Amino acid sequence: MINLVNIRLMEKKDIDGVMEQLLRLKHLNEEFDPLLKVSIGNEKEISEKLGRIIDDRENHIGLVAEDGKRLVGMIMSDVIFRIYYDPKYEARIREFYVIPEYRGKGVGMKLLDKLRELASERNIKMITAEFPSLNLLASKFYESIDFKELIKIYSKIN
Amino acid sequence: MIMKDSERTEYFDRNAIEISKKYKGKILTLPKVPITGLEDFSSLYTPGIAAVSKKIEDDKELAYELTGKWNSVAILTDGTRVLGIGNVGPEAAIPVMEGKALLFNYLGGVNAIPMPLIVKNNDEFIATAKAIQPYFGGYNLEDIQSPRCFFLLESLQKSMEIPVWHDDQLGTASIILAGAINALKLVNKKKEDAKIVFNGAGAANIAAIYLFEAAGFRKENIIAIDSKGIIEPGRADIDALMFKNPWKYKIALETNGERVQGDPANAFKGADLVVSASISIPGTIKNEWVESMNRDAIIFALANPLPEIWPGEAKNSGAKIVATGRGDFPNQINNSMVFPGVFRGVLDARSKGVNFDIMVAASQAIADFVENPTEDHIVPSMEDFDLFPRVASVVARKCVESGLARKSDSTEGFYRTASDIITKNRNIYNKLFDM
Repeated sequence: MINLVNIRLMEKKDIDGVMEQLLRLKHLNEEFDPLLKVSIGNEKEISEKLGRIIDDRENHIGLVAEDGKRLVGMIMSDVIFRIYYDPKYEARIREFYVIPEYRGKGVGMKLLDKLRELASERNIKMITAEFPSLNLLASKFYESIDFKELIKIYSKIN
Repeated sequence: MIMKDSERTEYFDRNAIEISKKYKGKILTLPKVPITGLEDFSSLYTPGIAAVSKKIEDDKELAYELTGKWNSVAILTDGTRVLGIGNVGPEAAIPVMEGKALLFNYLGGVNAIPMPLIVKNNDEFIATAKAIQPYFGGYNLEDIQSPRCFFLLESLQKSMEIPVWHDDQLGTASIILAGAINALKLVNKKKEDAKIVFNGAGAANIAAIYLFEAAGFRKENIIAIDSKGIIEPGRADIDALMFKNPWKYKIALETNGERVQGDPANAFKGADLVVSASISIPGTIKNEWVESMNRDAIIFALANPLPEIWPGEAKNSGAKIVATGRGDFPNQINNSMVFPGVFRGVLDARSKGVNFDIMVAASQAIADFVENPTEDHIVPSMEDFDLFPRVASVVARKCVESGLARKSDSTEGFYRTASDIITKNRNIYNKLFDM
């Protein structure tokens, strides 16, 4: 199955499929904290935002995994300029999702490897990832490939 | 029929309270060595007994030969899901655990000890279970809520050197499989081809799906249904299951090869066997769903006290074989036909564990015990006393073949051992109540 999965840059035609996966990911995040409760009816805004992100290749790297015509996973990262630190650029993974049937088969790894490759071509020497603190499977995944915790985000409703 | 049923229920309730008031508990520790005088205690207890302790100190495994460990089972519960009455707490679970201990002893000759635990979380449960292990040759987990029960069973099975069983999952799954084997045989259908629907995704049905897979049924031909409908990977709540119930998550990914979606009605179409452990209201399974099944349909409507469809209704809608959880209809699917024999077997083999292969062997032995199955007789009944040593011998032998046994024997040898223990135990009962 994994051999048939192709990784490529995200394009405008992917918007609907990517949005469906994003919403599944966000609904999963709901399980971790009430502050991650998904608001309803924003499809138009999300779609427009995705369009802008896809166009802005300077500041974003977005990839999709597809099996034939079927979108089976995606990864989206922001390119961040680190004015105070070295290395100067990082690619921060903000969204990362593989559909259930394709999990545990190396699709996520393939997406991540491609992201690293593209980042490295652009001299981006650091990859970071953000996800809800209670998503222990995500922690386990990143720790298993030698990522370590860097920054914490605390929250309180004002 | 419902009226008659509720009257009977009230009678059982009243009687149970009266018996509990009268006997104040259902089990008793009795001496099993003759005592001729107090001087005997110099060997039964100190100073002589220290010599036995020293032997066990040198070799812990000798506890199986020199103490009652070989025949002792702890019934562990946190009281979070007692029968159909829910999270009543460990104290309120005691009467149920005592009843279970009685069944263990009466049917299987096993010394089972109720062990309700006050624990705050999974880690505390596991730590406590490990701490009290030395005296026990096996553990039975009982009446623990799902999905906690899966986590505890898996963790304890992995980390302990004795068999750990959760009867609500494994016992029920084994008797379902035994019934399915005979029912499918009667209608001449092969397990490789059988299309099976599991209606309800509680502990028993989830365990049954894994057991059916181990028995050679094909996962793609299995469809599971929960309160939200047919389980399939496209459903929006499947991602959260990965965290909340990985056992059910795995089923969502691996079963339902055709990716049937939606209402239970869609799953019933063309199914050969429906195993329902769902809501205890007749009509939960609709007549037209049964009508849409394959020819010679088989229905296990296992909700208690009332089945999801009355057997008569199911038959009128075309079902050929119907089983329920009740003793007042033919084909009672009852886990009391499983655990006494399974425990007798794993204890007699001094087994280090129990697994799905052993359970498949147990289910096959239970199915084979019914020599000439008919539509109204696919599983044995509790009066078939010889069932328990038969199952025990097959289980014990399978433990040997799986490399889990500390003690080896032939199937016939294990049968004699089990039969001897159970018979002697029953003789003790007879003497006790001659008094």
